[in-house]
Amino acid sequence: MGIGLLAACESQPEKSENATPIAENPFFQEWTTPFGIPPFGQIKDEHYMPAFERGMEENLAEIDAIVNNPEEPTFSNTLEELERSGKLLTKVQRVFGNLTGSNTNETLQELQRELSPLLSAHSDKISLNEGLFDRVEAVYQQRESLDLSAEQLKLLEDTRKSFVRSGALLDEEEKAKITEINSELSELLTAFGQNLLAETNGFELILEESDLEGLSEGVRAAAAEAAAEKAESAETDEDKVKYEGKYVFTPHRSSMYPFLTESDRRDLREQLYTAYTQRGDNDDEEDNKEIAAKIAKLRAERAKLMGYETHAHFVLEERMLKTPEEVYNLLDELWKPSLQRAKVEVKDMQAVVNAEGKDFEIASWDWWQYSEKVRKEKYDLDEAALKPYLSLDNVLNGVFETTNQLWGLTYTELFDINTYHPDARVWEVKDKDGTHLGIFIGDYFTRSNKRGGAWMSSFKGQSNLDGEERPIVVNVCNFPAPVGDAPSLLSFENVTTLFHEFGHAMHGILTNVTYGSMSGTSGPRDFTEFPAQLLEHWASEPEILKSFATHYETGEVMPDELIEKLLKASKFNQGFANTEYLAASILDMDWHTLTADDQLKDADAFEEATMKRIGIIDEIVPRYRSTYFAHIFAGGYAAGYYSYVHSAVLDSDGFEAFKESGDVFNPELAAKLRENVYEKGSTEEAMELYKKFRGREPSIDALLKVRGLDGSTD
Amino acid sequence: MKIINKFCLLAFLLLSISALSHPLDEFLILDIEEGQMNLEDEEMTEEYVAALKRQQQRRLAAKTGSERFWLFTKAGVEHIIPKGIDHILFVLGLFFSSLFFRPLLWQVTAFTLAHTITLAMAVLGVLTIPGEIVEPLIALSIVWVAVENCLFKKTTKWRPAIVFGFGLLHGLGFASVLSAYGLPKANFVPALLAFNIGVEIGQLLVLLGAAVLFWLTRKKFWYRKRVQIPASLTIATVGFYWFVERVFL
Repeated sequence: MGIGLLAACESQPEKSENATPIAENPFFQEWTTPFGIPPFGQIKDEHYMPAFERGMEENLAEIDAIVNNPEEPTFSNTLEELERSGKLLTKVQRVFGNLTGSNTNETLQELQRELSPLLSAHSDKISLNEGLFDRVEAVYQQRESLDLSAEQLKLLEDTRKSFVRSGALLDEEEKAKITEINSELSELLTAFGQNLLAETNGFELILEESDLEGLSEGVRAAAAEAAAEKAESAETDEDKVKYEGKYVFTPHRSSMYPFLTESDRRDLREQLYTAYTQRGDNDDEEDNKEIAAKIAKLRAERAKLMGYETHAHFVLEERMLKTPEEVYNLLDELWKPSLQRAKVEVKDMQAVVNAEGKDFEIASWDWWQYSEKVRKEKYDLDEAALKPYLSLDNVLNGVFETTNQLWGLTYTELFDINTYHPDARVWEVKDKDGTHLGIFIGDYFTRSNKRGGAWMSSFKGQSNLDGEERPIVVNVCNFPAPVGDAPSLLSFENVTTLFHEFGHAMHGILTNVTYGSMSGTSGPRDFTEFPAQLLEHWASEPEILKSFATHYETGEVMPDELIEKLLKASKFNQGFANTEYLAASILDMDWHTLTADDQLKDADAFEEATMKRIGIIDEIVPRYRSTYFAHIFAGGYAAGYYSYVHSAVLDSDGFEAFKESGDVFNPELAAKLRENVYEKGSTEEAMELYKKFRGREPSIDALLKVRGLDGSTD
Repeated sequence: MKIINKFCLLAFLLLSISALSHPLDEFLILDIEEGQMNLEDEEMTEEYVAALKRQQQRRLAAKTGSERFWLFTKAGVEHIIPKGIDHILFVLGLFFSSLFFRPLLWQVTAFTLAHTITLAMAVLGVLTIPGEIVEPLIALSIVWVAVENCLFKKTTKWRPAIVFGFGLLHGLGFASVLSAYGLPKANFVPALLAFNIGVEIGQLLVLLGAAVLFWLTRKKFWYRKRVQIPASLTIATVGFYWFVERVFL
């Protein structure tokens, strides 16, 4: 009733039934809003489809105009025109893509399904356009004589390469073969994901109250709610009875991990964890073994057609680590100390089991429960004691202050701008000298129509091609919303996430390049996590923590003793975390270094051979087994799962530079970092950029130290 | 699921149109690891309303003290004119009780004092009475004063006491509005004061308007028959309709 009186507020999300006249579709208008922030209040669900349709139409017309240009191909009339094309499509795509993740509804979800094949066909029309490639190639052939800047040359090379990697240089027969492989692959990837989802949704542990020994109130409540939801949506009475008054746990991690940590029923832990690790490996209709092997085989065949030894070679060509050997070297170097540490952790846990007077040997399904017991014993860190010091506003001030000290950035919250949701807040980011750098949107609280996890994205990119365009960047997280009068209080893990995503945001906001397609976070996957992960380190610096971590009620600064415990606990369980992760990374590399001549593998035997070779211990299962390794068999991480640790090598080594200098805000280093990493996008080779900042190639020593894998942790 | 996969492909092919640092294919992975989204309208609306309140508090907190004071004063006025039609009727009910300045002043003072007390108590959370009870009673209070106007030619002695009681009710009505604005805890007293001042201004404007309209008729012999009683009856009827509406409809 009274809401909306004091301030103009956006209207409730609503579905309107009538199609709007074209003139009123905000996507067809110039946005005169401050900083070009999308006019979210005016954008209705029915505006998307017409905008997508016209966007694709205009885009194809623009491409045709480039191809049919009677003038000789030049950098300007080909590459730059390509860069300028697709404005409307990008405009609608950015808003749509963001909102389907952060503020979706059933209409948008339906639209997503409808649009998918249309957009896919559209992008094929461009990437497989021979006339377009011919013009790009013509420019490429005369690149030496064109007097191009380094950035222009990189744009030319990258654009050409993306055509070549789609098969532009192959003859007709080969091209047909590639198309065939691609469509077969696309079907297999989809099937893999669908099977996995079905297998994950298909298993439930339905428990009676008497089975809940050890479980806390919150975990019980969530399981009871899961059961209630199932009972409500049950189609038969029989199903209803099955769930009513029961407790349901599933192999989704959010349900499984709390159970594995708290449940005193070892038999049930085994049951649930085994169901999790057997997904896709049950020799039923949803089995993924053969699909995984076929995907690997087809990728190897495609790589061979394209002239590469293996799929990994094909992928890594575009990465910071250029060859499978480099990746294996990194993984092998980390493997031994991680495994060694994991073995110590097993011993620690076994000691607890023995002390409890129980008679069993630690198995993989015991890990969560007993590592938690060790943690309590060794580190005695009470997460709940930390939270009052970590209110969202305090932490935001912390990250703002950090970037202010590094680069002189200042932030002004724009209270009167309405975004797509009242929890999404807007700041203007200004440079040291007061010039406008970009807009930052922070959307931090969890809600039911937002996807889980945390990510960064943008509503507007940066480009200097036709005048200066500054970006609009968003961070989306799933932190707990405030309860009652208390502010939103974060866990330290949340704090790290906030700094991480803010690091991506910095990459998107500080960027300063000519061509939009090379701006911000457009670099290779094993590099783009670096600017994000690097920023996390400042959150763990005691002096910085103290500057923002003040108690929300008393104003007291977080005590030294608490900080010390917190930092010590960060090295906890790293043996396990690294071992399970590295095992999966090596498995990924093994699958994608198969050659086209290798026979179709039996996934189980293949995986077993890998595990035997690296000597994994029975107490640890790789983070993903082949049959549920969606990152590589349904997503875009093939020969790329190592990226996370590679970025970690970079961020640990990079932060070490600041530590070595004795000043975590060392102005000279900060300037180098900004100039060579945060501003450059993908306008230069990632390794070159890193070396310009660091003065040398990265080393893994700092990472081993940070993670307590250097033998110093007791 | 398929969609997301292809979106990723698209993003890649169109030279990274969407600068997602966590590529969209991770959404598929999240679906598998964390479970799919469960869209429930009721829950979404509840979350949205809570978020709106947070937004208003942030906006309020960002304003200067005097801006905030002015804002709450304005909100107080608006809650009488034009949004508080039931409060307007109540005040008119008081107006039609007496043409003498003193009794009217007594009544208005009693009313103001009373609603200030309950408003403060309710906003501080000392007193909570659900709207389903308060709102019909407010309607009845309108009926009461209007009917009294018809029955008694002169203002009764107990009238200020009764008006005081009704004021307590109306204060609770204001409180539900004020709390919906998201009262800043840190600036509670000035905000409450400003809102009250606004309400007073609103009430005085109503009285002033009525006085201007009926000034010339007040001394006429037919004033009671042609103005006071018909006006009060109309007010009573509307009040009774609201009561029925708030209880039964």
